[in-house]
Amino acid sequence: MIETLLMPFQYEYMLKAIFVSGLIGGVCAFLSCFVTLKGWSLMGDALSHSIVPGVAVAYQLGWPFAAGAFITGLLAALGMGFVKTKTRLREDAVIGVVFTSFFALGLLLISLFPARVDLRSIVFGNILGISDPDILQILIISGITLLVLGMKWNDLKLFCFDPNQARALGINTTVLHFTLLTLLSATAVAALQTVGACLVVAMLVTPGATAYLLTDRFGIMIGIAVSMGVSSSLAGAYASYFFDGSTGGCIVTLQSILFVVALVFGPKHGLLAARAKRKAAFLA
Amino acid sequence: MESLLEPFQYPFMIRAMIVGIAIGAVCAVLSCFLVLRGWSLMGDAISHAVLPGIVGAYALHLPLAVGAIASGLFCAIATGYIKEHSRVKEDTVMGVVFTGLFAFGLVLFTKVKSDLHLDHILFGNILGLDPGDLRDTLVIGGLCLAIILTLRRDLLLFCFDPGHARTLGLRIGLLNYLLLTLLAVTIVVSLKAVGIILVVAMLVTPGCIAYLLTDRFNRMLWIATGSAVFSSFVGVYLSFIINAATSSCIVLTQSLIFLAALAFAPRHGLLRRRKSPDTSPTAIPDAR
Repeated sequence: MIETLLMPFQYEYMLKAIFVSGLIGGVCAFLSCFVTLKGWSLMGDALSHSIVPGVAVAYQLGWPFAAGAFITGLLAALGMGFVKTKTRLREDAVIGVVFTSFFALGLLLISLFPARVDLRSIVFGNILGISDPDILQILIISGITLLVLGMKWNDLKLFCFDPNQARALGINTTVLHFTLLTLLSATAVAALQTVGACLVVAMLVTPGATAYLLTDRFGIMIGIAVSMGVSSSLAGAYASYFFDGSTGGCIVTLQSILFVVALVFGPKHGLLAARAKRKAAFLA
Repeated sequence: MESLLEPFQYPFMIRAMIVGIAIGAVCAVLSCFLVLRGWSLMGDAISHAVLPGIVGAYALHLPLAVGAIASGLFCAIATGYIKEHSRVKEDTVMGVVFTGLFAFGLVLFTKVKSDLHLDHILFGNILGLDPGDLRDTLVIGGLCLAIILTLRRDLLLFCFDPGHARTLGLRIGLLNYLLLTLLAVTIVVSLKAVGIILVVAMLVTPGCIAYLLTDRFNRMLWIATGSAVFSSFVGVYLSFIINAATSSCIVLTQSLIFLAALAFAPRHGLLRRRKSPDTSPTAIPDAR
């Protein structure tokens, strides 16, 4: 029994996968606090699908995948911003049109040049087969993201909570807007490797949403989100050894379970707490 | 010349075109309501959420569509419930719920021995449909279309102005679930052809194209349907000629039409706007 449970640790690729997943889980969770407060959850979803053509082109040309992915991610974000300001379409509709177009383009490229790119590894991630250069890219992305978030911490916090106030204080919100978008694209690229395009959005939303259910203080929220992101990614990557390599599925399922637990049992904002409060109010 | 007509010689191409056009039409009609309702990404959420339903139904030997519709509706209802009962924003809730279900579906998939192809569920397999699939699509798609068109006035009012609809005595809750159910059924019907991810495009883009081009709802329905049918036909045809993924060709054709509408729309287009600023920010639709 114990031998079976320890088996994953005997393989170098498993150790690498567990380590990298934990790192990405932590960075994404950090960012997810800003994303959920800003109401950009679906932007994360859109970006993660939009980077697919970039990955396809980058593989085709032999570039680092992150470069291509990053460029198309930003192009999609700019495209959405442009269409939204120029038309009367709602934001969600614009997001839908733009990201599906990008994804379709990616799919077209992959179907035209099938040999180089593995579609499955883009859509589901391939953390178990990650190469050392890819790990290096992820380390760099994570480092830069954490650095920027740390340096711009207060400005970003204010920008997410109350953009008008931030503007009134003389903070350049346009720069912050694009900083956050850039970080989102960068982490989406990193997370793509672990969980794949379809589930990136979970890494960028669920930890923040869970933490938001549990606390009212931003610092604590980040602490909860990051520890949840790291632990669920570590555990999920470990568990995926027993689930035929569906790393993304395992990590995100774990995160969703934690979200449901927080939703039901959260001390202040949970469903049970709310029910108890109603009952108390009724009796009083 | 002969090589241009070659696609029409194969029964599977003819089937793909018919199915593509049928799905395109149903999705396009629905997309007009979704765009007005602000539910564009509900299609995204439900389409991902059907995965555990499909795998579960396979394991329990139920019809796949039943499981798919059940888990799609579960996603929509759970999103609504959590939004009502917590302080998390709707878009965040949607993101959490549908990714959770999709991830669970993936894990389930690894544990259920099946002859399902994940690639076909995700990206569609419109060229591999058999005559039975063709029949199912036409029957269910036709049924959806009939229901939508019969109730189009009620649905339109519900989408455009729910408050007004309620004062007129319409059953808002019922319409809400009806629209969700129609959405889930349409997605399930479309999955085999275009797959989970690109069905979202079929459910958003035609409505957006039409909304850029007209202020009248009836015209919007026609334009959306026309552009979707045209895209399906061209997309299936092109995919044969250039040997590329069919669903992506359909969606990219729609995207190109969207770009054209964005640039050249007579009243709301970019090129027009520079001359005279748009003074009608929202349409006042009609349905007769």
